Amino acid sequence: MNSRPNLTAWFYLSPLHILLLAILTIPSLYVLWLSLNQSSYGTDLTWVGFENYRAVFTDTYFWRAALNTFFVVNGVVYVELLLGLALAILFVSGVPFRGVMFACILMPYAISEVVAVLVWKMMMDPNVGAIARAIEDMGLGAVNWSASPAMGLLLVGVINIWTHLPFTFLMIYAGLLAIDTALYEAAHIDGATRWQRFLRITLPLLVPTLLITLIFRLIFAFRMFSEVWLLTKGGPARMSEVLAVYLYQHGFRYGDFGIASATGWLMVIGSLLLASVFLIAMQRGMRGE
Amino acid sequence: MHNNFSPLERLTRGLFLAFMLVWSVAPILFIVTSSFKRQVDIFVYPPKLLFMPTIDNYFKLMSQWQGFFTSLGNSMIVALGATLLAGIVSFFGGYAYSRYRSRFMSWTAIYMIAVRVLPPIVVTLPLFPVADTLGLSDTHLLLILLYATFWVSLNTMILKNFFDQIPSELDEAAYVDGASEWQLVTRILARLTLQGMAAGSIFVFIYAWNEYLFAMIFTTNTAKTAPLILSELMGAVDGTEWGVLFAGVTLQLVPVVLLVTLARRYLIAGLTAGAVKG
Repeated sequence: MNSRPNLTAWFYLSPLHILLLAILTIPSLYVLWLSLNQSSYGTDLTWVGFENYRAVFTDTYFWRAALNTFFVVNGVVYVELLLGLALAILFVSGVPFRGVMFACILMPYAISEVVAVLVWKMMMDPNVGAIARAIEDMGLGAVNWSASPAMGLLLVGVINIWTHLPFTFLMIYAGLLAIDTALYEAAHIDGATRWQRFLRITLPLLVPTLLITLIFRLIFAFRMFSEVWLLTKGGPARMSEVLAVYLYQHGFRYGDFGIASATGWLMVIGSLLLASVFLIAMQRGMRGE
Repeated sequence: MHNNFSPLERLTRGLFLAFMLVWSVAPILFIVTSSFKRQVDIFVYPPKLLFMPTIDNYFKLMSQWQGFFTSLGNSMIVALGATLLAGIVSFFGGYAYSRYRSRFMSWTAIYMIAVRVLPPIVVTLPLFPVADTLGLSDTHLLLILLYATFWVSLNTMILKNFFDQIPSELDEAAYVDGASEWQLVTRILARLTLQGMAAGSIFVFIYAWNEYLFAMIFTTNTAKTAPLILSELMGAVDGTEWGVLFAGVTLQLVPVVLLVTLARRYLIAGLTAGAVKG
């Protein structure tokens, strides 16, 4: 049918856009305004221009948080993509007890970040944790992630992969299922080896799926908060903060809304840049229809 | 497909699958079994697979930590509320985006997806004082609104795809029979897009059931959800209460693990419709 939108159409769309405006758009724009002012609990806004951004950019803790975010996000996302791809290929080419296996692989998707942190914290406890002690028994040295920011962030990465691998796997698996099996038949008749079929058929056709999965995961890993906050609180000595934790500390602990908002607006820009690839593709798709 | 794997390939595949299974399930199994262990058995190394099960932890949970059950109730209210709200809003949104088209509307669709990528922590800064002024802090309603908003974009796309698959001849037939647009949408199309609503609902429910950041910032007392209570207990628990904590965690995770396991078909349907096709 595809009619031109009339009043009724906008009526059906209004709840959706009222929610988005009230909860996301207007507050985010207000954060932009806040970032150009100085304020704290119970004080009025004072216009300071780009002063907050200058303060953020000259704060070593900000750069520490930005670097940490960069390393964790990239580490997590690429490991996940590789594992998810391997798992998806495995499932498509057939595994025993498929239904049960599938359910098992998906299970961590149901687990709250709080619970994930709790259980990994227990298992990695230097004194009583089963995994930590197994690592020690293998002669790989003592696990002491609470004292070392790098180790703490590594554990944050592991927890993040654990909770999000099911999503990555599902996305890639769905993409693989969409590939026409007739292509494989043809390649097989032509005598292509399995490796050739993967490189020449599967991988090229899977590129859009992998790209979308990558962008989704980058955006979602970028906002990471709970794992770090619950595991290390950003410590020791603010060394394991990520951007969201840096923002939280300044906004809700130190009551410095200017700094927090500047960080927030930088995160908005970062997220939109990451998403722009997807949004441009989507806009072309909508026009093409 | 043609898969004649060599023995070596079989071995590699088997080992990888086994590793991924242990990786995915072992932490969950650790929680659930620990909740049935006596304190002395929980931290035995190497972990004991055979032990005398006990349900003392659950009794203790009921007698000492009644607040936890209130928080489970709060989680249920908030998760169901957010699912329902997101479902209704996305249903009408999906219908409009499927049946009407204009350049401006396509731009609003792109905007809808674009705002979805904003980090949640950013909006907490301005919403915190506003929620306070409106008397919405520490209420179920505020969490319902927040959780639903973060999923309406994806759910609308999912439902648009489901609406797209219903031929518009059906709409026309309904109009010929004298149905109004409202009747068409709420009586006929609603039934035909139930699958899409189910697919979207699972994502919202799981998210709202498990969410931590908003719950931590916006609830202080009456609306505290289960993950928040668990995070507080996690920091406060002393040496003798781990079993009780694990019992609480088990009660929190079992319903959603079952949901994911039973409804995995819908998860795939939702992801393919909502994300991959854009």
